[in-house]
Amino acid sequence: MFMTARRLRSMGWIATLVVCAALVMVLAFRVNALRSQVHQSQARIIALRQETMYLETEFETRANQQQLKAWNDVEFGYVAPTSAQYLDNERQLAAYAKPIEPDAPAPIRVASADDSVVAAAVFPAMVSPMTGKPTGAADDSAPAARPTHEAADAPAARSAGLATLSDRLGTVPHAATGTHKAGKDAKSKLAKAKPVKDKASKDKLAKGGKASGDQASGGKASGDKARHAVATRTAPSHDRSASGARLAGADTHRRAGVGHASGSPLIKLALKDAKTVK
Amino acid sequence: MNATRPQPVLSNAISTASATGRLHFANLRQRSLLTAKLRLVWVVVGFAFFALTAFVRIAQLGLGAQNPAEGAAGDGLAPPRAEITDRNGVPLARAFPAYSLWFDPKALGSKGLPLVKTPEEVARALVQIFPSEDYDDLLARLKAGKGTYLRRRVLPEEANKVFALGEPALEFPREIQRFYPQGTLAAHVLGFVDADGKGKLGMEAYLNARLTDKAHLSEPVALSIDSRAQGAMEDELAHEMLLTHAKGAAGIVLDVDTGEVIALASLPSFDPNRSDLADNDHVKNRATNEVYELGSTFKPFTIASAIEAGVVTDMAVRYPATPLKVDGYTIHDHESYGATLNVPETLIHSSNIVAAEIADKLGGQRLRDTMIALGMNQRANIELPAKGFPIWPRGDWPRLRTMTVGFGHGLAVTPLHLAQGYAALVNGGIWRPATLFKVDPAHASAGRRVFQASTSARIRQLLRLIVVDGTGRSANAPGYRVGGKTGTAEKAGSNGSGYKNKHAVIATFAAAFPMDKPRYVVIAMLDEPQANQSTSGQRTAAWNAAPVVGRVVPRIGPLLGVVPDGRRDVDVSDLTPLVANGEGE
Repeated sequence: MFMTARRLRSMGWIATLVVCAALVMVLAFRVNALRSQVHQSQARIIALRQETMYLETEFETRANQQQLKAWNDVEFGYVAPTSAQYLDNERQLAAYAKPIEPDAPAPIRVASADDSVVAAAVFPAMVSPMTGKPTGAADDSAPAARPTHEAADAPAARSAGLATLSDRLGTVPHAATGTHKAGKDAKSKLAKAKPVKDKASKDKLAKGGKASGDQASGGKASGDKARHAVATRTAPSHDRSASGARLAGADTHRRAGVGHASGSPLIKLALKDAKTVK
Repeated sequence: MNATRPQPVLSNAISTASATGRLHFANLRQRSLLTAKLRLVWVVVGFAFFALTAFVRIAQLGLGAQNPAEGAAGDGLAPPRAEITDRNGVPLARAFPAYSLWFDPKALGSKGLPLVKTPEEVARALVQIFPSEDYDDLLARLKAGKGTYLRRRVLPEEANKVFALGEPALEFPREIQRFYPQGTLAAHVLGFVDADGKGKLGMEAYLNARLTDKAHLSEPVALSIDSRAQGAMEDELAHEMLLTHAKGAAGIVLDVDTGEVIALASLPSFDPNRSDLADNDHVKNRATNEVYELGSTFKPFTIASAIEAGVVTDMAVRYPATPLKVDGYTIHDHESYGATLNVPETLIHSSNIVAAEIADKLGGQRLRDTMIALGMNQRANIELPAKGFPIWPRGDWPRLRTMTVGFGHGLAVTPLHLAQGYAALVNGGIWRPATLFKVDPAHASAGRRVFQASTSARIRQLLRLIVVDGTGRSANAPGYRVGGKTGTAEKAGSNGSGYKNKHAVIATFAAAFPMDKPRYVVIAMLDEPQANQSTSGQRTAAWNAAPVVGRVVPRIGPLLGVVPDGRRDVDVSDLTPLVANGEGE
């Protein structure tokens, strides 16, 4: 019994030893398996990189300078671009826009350092669509709703003691609590207000905006004498571009939104703009 | 007593027996204990062994394991020779396992014939596939019955054709060889690698140690060359060479602010992929190794030196332009441009007489000093091993020598010398060594001042004037504000036997662009161009070398960051009234 217990104990130790040995072996096997996997992956990476290198080299060889030259001589005939084909900036690109024909509507000035015309233009007070009363009295609490462009114009106009565009946009009354929502509200109301107030003038302006980049529709608006005058005056100006026209379109909408209270000031504004462009 | 006698015995026996038994037990116990301890020790040793093994293994894995990037994969990826790329990383030379053609006579067994067909048939078929091979030579090698390379470099499609011959003795072992994907492009810059893996010629020779350095095998070496500019230069030079039946041509594009060589061409060229063919005349580098009298292209150096020395202060001063007799020699012009010429006219018409007069006024010493400052008295400053030594008149220059050097004769330099000199002329007056390594503009060589910035500005005006109104008109790429000077020099006979053949000339055009703020110097040189229809019967640089520059500049300008602008130019309004139009040499 004594022996058996001892033997059992030693057997136990041996068993533990065997188990440990087995575990170590398992560990070793796993490590080796992983290692061989890594080696395989490495070999594969090498093979793939070599393959990439072959293909790359083959490509470089087939597309070498002399080969490309030979193809160009036979197939394409490309030549080096001349200096006339290079443009420095958008302004030079704009010079390639189609010249404005007589009878075309007034092109709208896009960007100018001199904003005195806009600042000097006295805009009619905006009427709140909610209350029906002129706005501007109550709050100035929606600065987030102001587009940055107008914000930049604001100081000059304020110094002139006039209600600027941004001031009036900023003072559209709103019921919502959150500033962000308020901003949205203000915009949507403004958007709604556009067609309501003076559809006719807006339509004309929209047509004008399109026509500045499109000769065909230029004729449609020829009835308007004022615009005709502007067009003839600005016709020789080639300093307009496609992108400029697009911007002009956007600008038109902005102004349309502003000037919808009465149609005529906008025409005057356009005339003034045209003069300054001159 | 008796009864009691044995007692002790018995007791003794018993005690002995019991003592023995006890001893036995004690022994047994001791032994068992010992065994147990021993076993325990074995178990402990076993555990310790496994623990140690495991620990060692863990330590080995944890500490000593190879980093895959440095291990097998890294070794497998590193080429035996580092790559050479251009400035934009386009590989120009790389190690590539290409096919070669090996003849193994024992492929069909050691007995019997090595080939299925007759050697004559095989040799004929091989010559059809490789027209450059020699039939007799191939036949001899096939008949010799020894294992040998029939060809070092075989393209895959050629290998397929050879395979189709059905000869097992023709094998295609893949061997890592130096491969130049761009073919002959920049061959003189790159050089080649011989069969022993040693770099020969060009940067392969110069960089041999770096390219085979085990620590940097996987890092490519970037050269200053732009393969596109190099291609354009070689292409236009080759075109002009064909048109004018010139013997050779050289072209250089050099960055004036850093001294980087953007393109360096020497034609005819060779294919570095065929190192067996490289040992011929074409390996001569005309741009850095051959020296030429570069003629009138030297006149701006004379004028700049004279302005610098205060000899020429007024552009309107007129000098007599009638043939000049000095020491029995008569210096004359290509044709007469009137009795007198001023400095701008001298350059525009390329008058030897006035250039000689100005050089004479300047004096040999000062002209010599300028030439030395421009490095014209020593080998060109570049990494290439092939650098020619100028033919430099030693000692004090006599009057006639000074005058001939004044218009570019009597001093022979390489086109690279000229390019470096022009870079110093136009970049504000700083001479910098040329380099074929890509240079960070912030760490460009400081160089040495040769001319004042004001002199350089004046020379820029004059060079521009030559292209606008003078002999360089055909180089006037619109919008690139090219300025430069033509030079047509009669070739001196061998061993200095004078200028016997009037038709053998070196036509050079040295230019820079854009002249309002020069970025690159462009040199185009043609060796013995012929007069024919394509050059309107002329062989002067205005008709062959200048048009090369006129075509190269629009091709390389935009690639090198020079945007053409037709509304910008150098202000030459103060010089224009001084010039009456005309033609020159």
